Amino acid sequence: MSSPVLDLPRAGQPAVDPDEYIAALMRWHFTASTGSPFWLRRARSLDFDPIADVRTFADLRLFPNVVDEFRDVGVEDLIPRGLTGEDRVIAGVYESGGTTGSPKRFVMFDRWMEFALGWDEFHYADLGPANVLAVAPSGPHMFGEFAARRARRHDGVRFTVDLDPRWIKRLIERDGPGAADLYAEHIIDQAAHILTTQAVGILITTPPLLERMARRDDLVALIRKNVRFICWSGAHMDADTREIFQAEVFPGIPLKGLYGSTTILGMSRERPGEGLDGLALFDPPSPYVVFRVVDPDTGEDVALGDRGQVVMNHLTKYALIPNNLERDHAVAVEPPPGWLGCSVADVGPVATFDDHAVIEGVY
Amino acid sequence: MGEGIHIDALGPTGPYRSRHRRPLTSLSGAQIGEISQVPALYVRRTIAAMRAAPVLPGAQRFDALDAAAELFLTASLGGFGPQEYVDLVSTASGVPRAVVRQSVEWIADVLRSQRTTVELAMPRGAVGDWRDERTSEGSAVWARRGEVFAVHAAGNTPAVHGLWPEALALGYKVVVRPSAREPYTALRLVEALRQAGFPPATVTLLPTDHDVADVIIAEADYAIVYGGQDVVDKYGASPTVITQGPGRSKILVTADVDWREKIDIIADSVSHLGGTACTCASAVLVEGDPEPLARALAERLGRIPSLPADHPDATLTVQPTASVIEVDQYLHKVAGDARALLGGDTIVDELASGGAVLRPAVHLVDSSGAAQLGVELPFPCVWVGPWQPADGIAPLRDSLVLTAMTTRAELIDALLDEPSIINLYLGDNPTTWLRPGIPHDGYLGEVLMRTKGMIRTAVGPAAA
Repeated sequence: MSSPVLDLPRAGQPAVDPDEYIAALMRWHFTASTGSPFWLRRARSLDFDPIADVRTFADLRLFPNVVDEFRDVGVEDLIPRGLTGEDRVIAGVYESGGTTGSPKRFVMFDRWMEFALGWDEFHYADLGPANVLAVAPSGPHMFGEFAARRARRHDGVRFTVDLDPRWIKRLIERDGPGAADLYAEHIIDQAAHILTTQAVGILITTPPLLERMARRDDLVALIRKNVRFICWSGAHMDADTREIFQAEVFPGIPLKGLYGSTTILGMSRERPGEGLDGLALFDPPSPYVVFRVVDPDTGEDVALGDRGQVVMNHLTKYALIPNNLERDHAVAVEPPPGWLGCSVADVGPVATFDDHAVIEGVY
Repeated sequence: MGEGIHIDALGPTGPYRSRHRRPLTSLSGAQIGEISQVPALYVRRTIAAMRAAPVLPGAQRFDALDAAAELFLTASLGGFGPQEYVDLVSTASGVPRAVVRQSVEWIADVLRSQRTTVELAMPRGAVGDWRDERTSEGSAVWARRGEVFAVHAAGNTPAVHGLWPEALALGYKVVVRPSAREPYTALRLVEALRQAGFPPATVTLLPTDHDVADVIIAEADYAIVYGGQDVVDKYGASPTVITQGPGRSKILVTADVDWREKIDIIADSVSHLGGTACTCASAVLVEGDPEPLARALAERLGRIPSLPADHPDATLTVQPTASVIEVDQYLHKVAGDARALLGGDTIVDELASGGAVLRPAVHLVDSSGAAQLGVELPFPCVWVGPWQPADGIAPLRDSLVLTAMTTRAELIDALLDEPSIINLYLGDNPTTWLRPGIPHDGYLGEVLMRTKGMIRTAVGPAAA
């Protein structure tokens, strides 16, 4: 039943035809012998027939956003029955959300994870052996496992720290931002100890934590001396901050972003070369992961160059997660030729402008 | 935009133009330039560099402040000559030209007066320099509590920049976050101070958005923050933040004084600097019937002409029409049952040249406990109400300045003892009276400095 078009690509293989891919994908997920219990059950309450009605990427918009249902569904139900052998090897179960409600769970398959990890491999091509320090969410977050596999590819080990974003959120609710500050400094203290005593060649972290490291002169000196690659993900980095990191704080050290989400079980990679007005551009691995950027009011795609809310799709034989509206906003950018959807830049929270409410006083 | 005005950061190593910028607009809403919005990383690196920089010795600081006063008055700074600067502030931010001129003179006076101001603020038991002979016998030395002072400035009048030079005089390094509406004065003053001899790492200009402004305040040792009641609520509890919120300045006229002789002083207190200073009176309390005074005040204030801000005779502030309409709507909402004697229909007077004048408003309230008496708005807006001795001083609380027109010494004693009255003026003095060396909200030194005990014996050749 599995169509070869659904197999992950090998080097030198020609690009798949998008429509052929989408049609094969629908047959896979909505045929009783290959689909997952979740989708086979869910298909009964859809008001369309996925196999007959979904022929193109655009048709995927017929699907509702089902990720909220991933909060309660048993993970066994998410495994497509057609997966066998090497394809069926599970790397882990990872969670999304959890800071704003109960978490959603996703099954990560080993083969897909290796492909997702390799998506920005060219950035690391000349790095050689290196240890990795991941100062990033631990626990049920996919970040940590990606870092471990990154280290393996460089014949190194992964150092890590405990970081629980859900607990930070609770602390902020209870005690205000000062509590988060204390927690973040505790994280940096742990990272500092590793950077001081161990040979770290690749540093993986978030922009706010990288900025905190930049506040400590001793850490900046250590990173400049030892670290040969900085990978950031998990938050927004504005163009000015990126430029200061590159030009002043960590000159000469590649600083590359990943923009991803557990709901796509992977990441988009930073496009090499000059970005959009100093911002990193992110290309997802189309057609396996495809972005759209929509007007939050109408749900329609915005024009390239315009800002809107990001919609993510994971479209593989390992999982089908269409039309997931993320909280992030971004600028839609022209994708590489032949790719589905769009690429994105300037990912961040909803842009707000200063209110002009009258406030008493003369200032 | 490549053309037009650029307001960029003035950092420790020179100017910095960020990619993130917001438009600078004129009163008509037209874009006239851009202002950089620096990121938190730049703020932290700047303040770290400021901390690392040496403190300019005292004598050099005072010389530089003197020189800065002259430059501020006369030099071309940041690309603007003195006249161009005045024109820009009035046309772009709607501060009347005469108000800008007055403010410029005031700032220059402040810069030139710092030797005296610092002397006046220092406790009598202290010396300003440990090398003073008095420390050989044992004495207090006046010492800084911190290194970096942040200014979160406002744009209602350039005169707000008259407070923070005192911090430079005390040897603090100062980081100024300018107003987005009127960043021109901050730029001009920082440029003047630098040209006068303050090294770049001792005085910086960091335009930012509101979130990053919080980073400046958090990173500095002390800060002065201008804003509305929201800002006072946000920072009021912080011992390291001096808030400059609503002044709620008031005038009290008791029955032993004939208000008719004082009406000009009262009107000036309301309309000085276009009513945009926190020292402007926003409430007048009168023993006896307040209505005749209110009517006379409305008549005086009603005579002030509506003029474009760059007109030589303009005294009223001009703002974008939409903002003025919002203020007018807010005024109607808070006025409630107060009787309008002026400005009750509308305070919006749109100008052909762009924007609208905020016309004065006079309202009468029927009790000294009326909530309106505590409402301060950024234009000549005054609430007049009755007061009687039985009301006590409660209605006079929470005043940056209280001008008490009274001969009753016991009342004056009680007013001076009231902690929430910051300055007490008596008799024929408008609430807007200011002199360099006389505190406006205490001396900055009261917050920024402390005394340290010192006794010393000769330690070899004097270091300096």
